Amino acid sequence: MSASAIVGRREFIRTGAAIGGGLLVSLYVPLPDGRSDALAAEEKDFALNAFVRIGTDESVTVISAHSEMGQGIYTSLPMLLNEELQADWSKVLVEAAPVDKVYNHPVFGIQMTGGSTTSPAEWERYRRMGALARTMLVEAAARQWNVEASSCHVDNGAVIHGATRRRATYGSLANAAAQLTPPADVPLKSAKAFTLIGKPTRRLDTPSKTNGTAQFGLDVNVPGMLTAVVARPPVFGGKVAKFDASETLKVPGVKAVEQVPSGVAVIAARFWPAKIGRDKLVISIGIWDRMRGSLRTRCCAISQRWRNSRERSPKRQATRQQL
Amino acid sequence: MTIFVNGKPVQVDDDPSTPLLWVLRESLGLTGTKFGCGMALCGACTVHLDGKAIRSCVAPLSRAEGKHVTTIEGLSANLTHPLQKAWIELDVPQCGYCQSGQIMSAAVLLAENAKPTDKDIDEAMGGNICRCGTYPRIRKAIHRAAELASERRTR
Repeated sequence: MSASAIVGRREFIRTGAAIGGGLLVSLYVPLPDGRSDALAAEEKDFALNAFVRIGTDESVTVISAHSEMGQGIYTSLPMLLNEELQADWSKVLVEAAPVDKVYNHPVFGIQMTGGSTTSPAEWERYRRMGALARTMLVEAAARQWNVEASSCHVDNGAVIHGATRRRATYGSLANAAAQLTPPADVPLKSAKAFTLIGKPTRRLDTPSKTNGTAQFGLDVNVPGMLTAVVARPPVFGGKVAKFDASETLKVPGVKAVEQVPSGVAVIAARFWPAKIGRDKLVISIGIWDRMRGSLRTRCCAISQRWRNSRERSPKRQATRQQL
Repeated sequence: MTIFVNGKPVQVDDDPSTPLLWVLRESLGLTGTKFGCGMALCGACTVHLDGKAIRSCVAPLSRAEGKHVTTIEGLSANLTHPLQKAWIELDVPQCGYCQSGQIMSAAVLLAENAKPTDKDIDEAMGGNICRCGTYPRIRKAIHRAAELASERRTR
């Protein structure tokens, strides 16, 4: 496994063999104390921090650092990466990233999706990942054929040496590429050379959203997982004064009841007992007066401004006079 | 108690008052059916009970005893149902959360009305809400699925 520093000030790209074969391109962030053994220490994270996995079966799996919520990012991030990788688009798959700092938003510094920022923020990072993987696959082919890498080109998931009419697919090169040291930097295409970015492209997530296999937050299940539902205040600024959970705790399946900042949480083996348990809570709601006061003040100020603007509007005044 | 889910008999030991939705999702691991409102207002949890569309979030398990339940997972083995083909052809979903319910409602409509009009579609699909607003594509895709189904029949 080897590292190169081409992404940002703190992130390093790492490449190596994927579990089960193939090429993996990952990112890592060195430990804050600058320990030089960061690579070794984070060895185990290598597979978890991938951005793209090129399988010996020709599959190209792009790991999305951002959530798909209908905006199409599960398609546009793979498009960015594959603009440079130039794999066969029909072999491109997408997977949600796990929680890890390498998937932090390049601008906001936390793992998040929002504000229409994903495409601009990832515009360079995903293309670099693709370019790096392509460069290594080309290098692997060039070594295999004993030719200059610069005399090879790529097309739709394969490296080609035109002069000797040789061709090797990415999948067949992935293991060899995983043994190479990644280059320190890779040039990116100019916008004029784009073949995928800017082209209408079918969404990659449609089939999974048509047969129930797409995984949403609510669908995640881990062994021993419990479900909590929260009884929240029925009014803005409301807070729990006191509560009685004795009936809730009698519901079969309810494990615990806890007061939390947003209300009272009922924790159960499954959703339904948690919900039934929540219905049986007896909660007295107190009002945080300061909050209520400030809400009232703000509402009054807004209403007053609205009334003032109506009064000042000449058209409105004319209308009123006619009435 | 025994219920038939996607053609197979299954034994479930949940409390009979548990909504069918949670039996499907939590006991049987069929998470394609979604929890939306829990009050039969949004349609995200739509499944078929003996061929009729029901809101599984308010249907107690006891109602399904000995009956046939079909979920999105059971609509076709491999995305071959005309609705699924049409949905893919027209890239209907955005976030996708409501789409299992949309497709299951549409499947009952097409089973009862092979060539629905816009009005038929709007009436049959009125209980399925989509926050992304994919309604125009859903309507187009139902028309397209009706075409695909009729091609399949005449072939």
